[in-house]
Parts: sequence; structure tokens; C-alpha cells
Amino acid sequence: MASYHQMGHHSENLMREPNLQGFAGAILSPVNYSEEEIASQIESFRHRPYFDTVFDPQLYYPRSERGKLPTWGYFPSSVDSLDIQSDSWWRALVDRLVESCTRLRPDGVCSPAFVPRSFSDGYFSGMVKLCDYLVSGMEISQTRAIQTLLVNLPDLADPGRAMRIASIVTRTKASSVYLVIVSNSEPRREFWDVEELKGALKLIDSLEKSGLPVLVGFSSSDMVLWKFAGAASCATGKFFNLRRFTSSRFEEPSVGGTPMAYWFEESLMAFLRESDVIRVRQAGGLSEASIKNPYGQEILECIDNARGQAWIGLGWRQWMYAFADLEKRIGHNAIDVGQLLRHADEAWLALDDANILTEERQNNGAWVRAWRRAIIEYPAMR
Amino acid sequence: MSAALDDVARVVCNSRGLTFGEKIGEGAFKKTYLVWTLEGEPWALKVVREECSVERTAREVDAMKKCSHPSIARLLDVSSVLCDGREYTFMLEEYMAGGTLAERIQDNLLSPDEAWAIGLQLIGAIEHIASRELVHRDLKPANIMFRRVWSDPVVVDFGLVRDLSKESVTHTWLTRGPGTPYFAGPEQLNNDKGLIDWRADQFALGVVISVCTLGMHPYECAGDSDADVVNRVATRERPGAAFLTQSRAIGLPVLAQMVGVWPAERYRTPAMLMEAWRDQR
Repeated sequence: MASYHQMGHHSENLMREPNLQGFAGAILSPVNYSEEEIASQIESFRHRPYFDTVFDPQLYYPRSERGKLPTWGYFPSSVDSLDIQSDSWWRALVDRLVESCTRLRPDGVCSPAFVPRSFSDGYFSGMVKLCDYLVSGMEISQTRAIQTLLVNLPDLADPGRAMRIASIVTRTKASSVYLVIVSNSEPRREFWDVEELKGALKLIDSLEKSGLPVLVGFSSSDMVLWKFAGAASCATGKFFNLRRFTSSRFEEPSVGGTPMAYWFEESLMAFLRESDVIRVRQAGGLSEASIKNPYGQEILECIDNARGQAWIGLGWRQWMYAFADLEKRIGHNAIDVGQLLRHADEAWLALDDANILTEERQNNGAWVRAWRRAIIEYPAMR
Repeated sequence: MSAALDDVARVVCNSRGLTFGEKIGEGAFKKTYLVWTLEGEPWALKVVREECSVERTAREVDAMKKCSHPSIARLLDVSSVLCDGREYTFMLEEYMAGGTLAERIQDNLLSPDEAWAIGLQLIGAIEHIASRELVHRDLKPANIMFRRVWSDPVVVDFGLVRDLSKESVTHTWLTRGPGTPYFAGPEQLNNDKGLIDWRADQFALGVVISVCTLGMHPYECAGDSDADVVNRVATRERPGAAFLTQSRAIGLPVLAQMVGVWPAERYRTPAMLMEAWRDQR
């Protein structure tokens, strides 16, 4: 049971903050860092007792935004010209990845995986075989190989799909799974399709029950769902109060205005803009956890002093702190996810009754009811 | 005109210096005879019928050659013989004097302790088969024999074995996959090749032990015919309440997970199954 920090651009600074020490590990990404920089990060984390470093080779969209990926030894120069779905191409890549990880010595390495056009049974079988090849490659090292599992959330609405995928993936020789939920949902929007969520919960539940601990990557507030289904760990990053795992996640917005600051409010299981925070606070709707959040306190001071100071950076920190704190309380059974969502559902109704409307029309808490249904109904799925 | 298989068996015996004993079994693809070596050791001679495909026989022989385990029948020799101008394949295997599990339960079911002990050895066998990337696909009481009367169970008949390291050779249009439907899991009944792995054998073994101990199929409901039961498995219904209660009552709760609807619901690795099975005693 643990929170992982999904490392992104300049996020290594956050790892040093005294109030953000609740993370038990970090998912290291080559997109924003060179091999030397990642080596330095791993060395610095080595001094932390029980801190788990996991290297994610990030080949999800190898032909799109790559950042520093092409500077890495394992990244193939032939990515644009060859059939990247051939076994031999991927095996050669794994061989080079093993060399990189033998030098870097992270605690874990995720198997390489790409986002396919179609998430077929054959695709999942291929990903398992590739991970098995990585397992054999890492056998003599101290680094454990982790089965990467990319699933397309809309596919999971199909009854039985989650169990088919679980039946294939549980063949892996790796001893844990790194789950990435791919969706086409917009940034800043929660997952809301009950059937899709039920499938995702069933998948996590099934993998965990088979003895494969699941680390859900790229999580946002939906972490509470994955934890409810039994996920051992979840990872988030500073941007995950805004973005999800879509292809655009790797691309900076080409147009658009200034980034907005967001506050994660546990009582509503929602991300709020400043004016929303002010009104919810006035109505006495901020949770105790939010008020105790040290970065939340700083944000409220900014708002109270009316300095007009932007608090985007504090918003990231407020989210990161809240994530680790909430994950820990769920893990220790100090909080019941069903009750948490029920209270959030009621809190949204109370806001509506008090005519307190959020700035963004779609930020209306409708997903909370879908989440409640999903956790109630998924155990009965076949 | 093809020769009678009995004549073929006698030709084999003559050419190998064996003494013909008697016919001891007959299946769709083979006839089995008891024969004796010069040293007086009993062997099983299996003569393959002409209509049995060369691929099927080759698959069976390859699989048996890959295996070497005390609970798996030993293949001693495989060859062919000409008889009446036609070539017949034959196999020589160790002879199992103890009869089949099907014969064992004709009068009395297994006690829970007997079932546990037999299960332990058979799990060892499927663990070994799985380690060779093979799936037996036809575990049933008739394909489990005893070296001695009711002890030392041995898995026999690899005629439907699937080698996971090779492309599937069965036809994709089959609505039912190969195997004996009553003991097969949903993925096998639906010919869902992408889901077939060692856990299909785990399912079949769970059904075998349930049938031999409780006298019921795990998915059976009161008044069901065998066809009803097979249909329940194929459509992925859940094991029956009576089975779940009784398997717990006799101290074999592991059976319930062995017959999970989806492979992911069963034990993930043979070692995990073995450990759970051992822990029941």
C-alpha cells in the first residue's frame, strides 16, 4: 500500500519538500530527463530507506512527443521507418533497455509497451511475452521487471473484457503489474462511465486476487476507486490535477491561455478554481483534510491576503500532499471509500441547494454518483 | 483393405520379441494391448488407427517425450510397422496395473483424504506438463491410471495435448474445442484458444476430483443432465451452492478456486496451486 510520485518536468524539486515525504516511491520518466539525470535521481533516492524507484521507459507513443527519449541508448533510431509491432524489433529494444537499467540500477523497470490501434487479445499476449523476455534479461540484476498493462477504458465497458484481459495478463512471469488506463476523456474531466469503471475495477480486483500487486500509474482523484478495488499502489504527478493519460498528455497545449490553479477538495472529490474555493469555504464546505493540508493553508493565506498571487505551484503541492494523505488513510482503513463518496455526493447536493455553482459547468459532481454506482455494482460482474 | 488392429499388434510383438497378452482398452484413435517383454515386464502397446492424423500422433509423441515425471506415463518407444501393405504407428508405454480412476469410483467415491493424496500427485503432474509449455486438455477419470491398485496415479493419453510454443493446429471453425466436454473449462468448450493455458488442466482436475469425491460436477444443479452442466460451464455460470458447501465441508476448499469461470480466477501458477492444496492437510 503506497503512493508513488509520477515524475515529470522539474518535479524532482517536489521530492525534496519536507511536506511531500509521504511518497513511498517514484516512477522515473526518460521523457524529461537524460540518462545521466535519471542516474543522479536514483542515486539521491538510494539514501531514503524503503524508497522504491521504478523506471518507466515511456514508449507509449514512440512516434509522437519524445522529449529527451531519443538521447537514451534503448530508444531505436528506426522508430519512424520500421514495423514497430514486430517481435524482433521489440526484443532488440528490450536488450538495450536491460543494458540501460543494468547501469541505472532502479529498483524496478516497467516492460516497454505501446498504445496500439486495437487492444486485442493478441496485443496483450504480445505484451506479456515481451515482459517475460525482460524478466529473463533482468534475472541476474537487483532490478525487478514489472508487467506494463495498458488498457483502453472504453473497451472495459464490454462485459467479460476485463476478465479476458486479466486471464491473459496473469500469465506474466513478472511479480507485479503497472497499470495505465488509456482513455479519450478530456483533461480536467473525471471518468464518468459506470460500465467502463466497473470493468476497470474488476480488472484490478482480479489481478490483485491472482497475487499480482497492481500499481496504477497516472492516477488522479480516481485513485480512491482503484484503492477500493484493491490496488496496492497508485502514482500521481503534479500535473494530474489537470491531465489524464491521453496522447495529448505528452503535448503542451499549442493554443490557450494561462494555466489555471486548482485546489483538490476531498469533501467534493473535485478540483476547484479559486472562486469556487472561496464560496465553498464560506459555506463551510471545505474538508478537515483540506484545511489541515499545509499547502492548502498557504493557498488560503494567499486568498485571504488578496494579493492576487498566483498559486499554481502551491496547487500542485496541495494535490500531491492530499493524494499521499488520502491514499494512506484508505490503506490504513481510516477512511471508507464508499462513505467518502456518499458524503461527497451529499455535499454536492447541499451546494446545489445553497445555489453555489462552480465556475466550470461540467464541474458539477455528477461523476461522484457514477463512481458510487461503480463500486457498488462491480463485484456482481461476471 | 486395412488389417485388424489386433493383427497389427501381433505383428509388432513378433518384430519386437514381445509376447502378445490381451486387449485392454479401446478409444477413437487407438487400441491398447497388454504385452510382455522377454524379461517378463508388462508393457502397454498402443496401435494407432489409420484414420488418426499423423499430426495428432506426432503431437502426442512429442509431448510425451518432453515429459519426465513419476505421475506421467512413460513412453518407451514409438515406431511404425507395415501390415497388409499399410503403415501403422504404434507406441510402447509402461503398463499401469492398477486400472483407471473411472474404474476406481464405480462402486465407491474417494474419501477426502484419498482425494487429497491423489490430487497432490496429479497437481505435480500438471505442474510438470505446464513447465514444458504443454496443456493436456483431456484430463478425466478414464485418463488417470494407477501403477498399483489405487495408488500412484499417472496421467495418460496425450492425444489432445496442445503445445503453447507452437501455433494451434485445430480448426478455428469448431464451435466446441477438443476434449471431453463434461470435464472441460469454459475456454475449452468455447474453443477460445487465446485463453487456453495450464489453467484449463487445473479446471479439469478440479472437476475430476469433485466428481470422484463428491459425486457431482461443480456446476451441477439439482435435476441437471450432463448436457445441462456442460452448457452452464460454456455460458460461464457460477459453480453451484451445493458444490461450494460440500467441498468446504470435506476440507477441500481449494477446489472452488480451481474451477473458477475465468482462468484469472483460478490459481495463477502451478506452484501456488500446489501450496494451497498442501495447506488443506
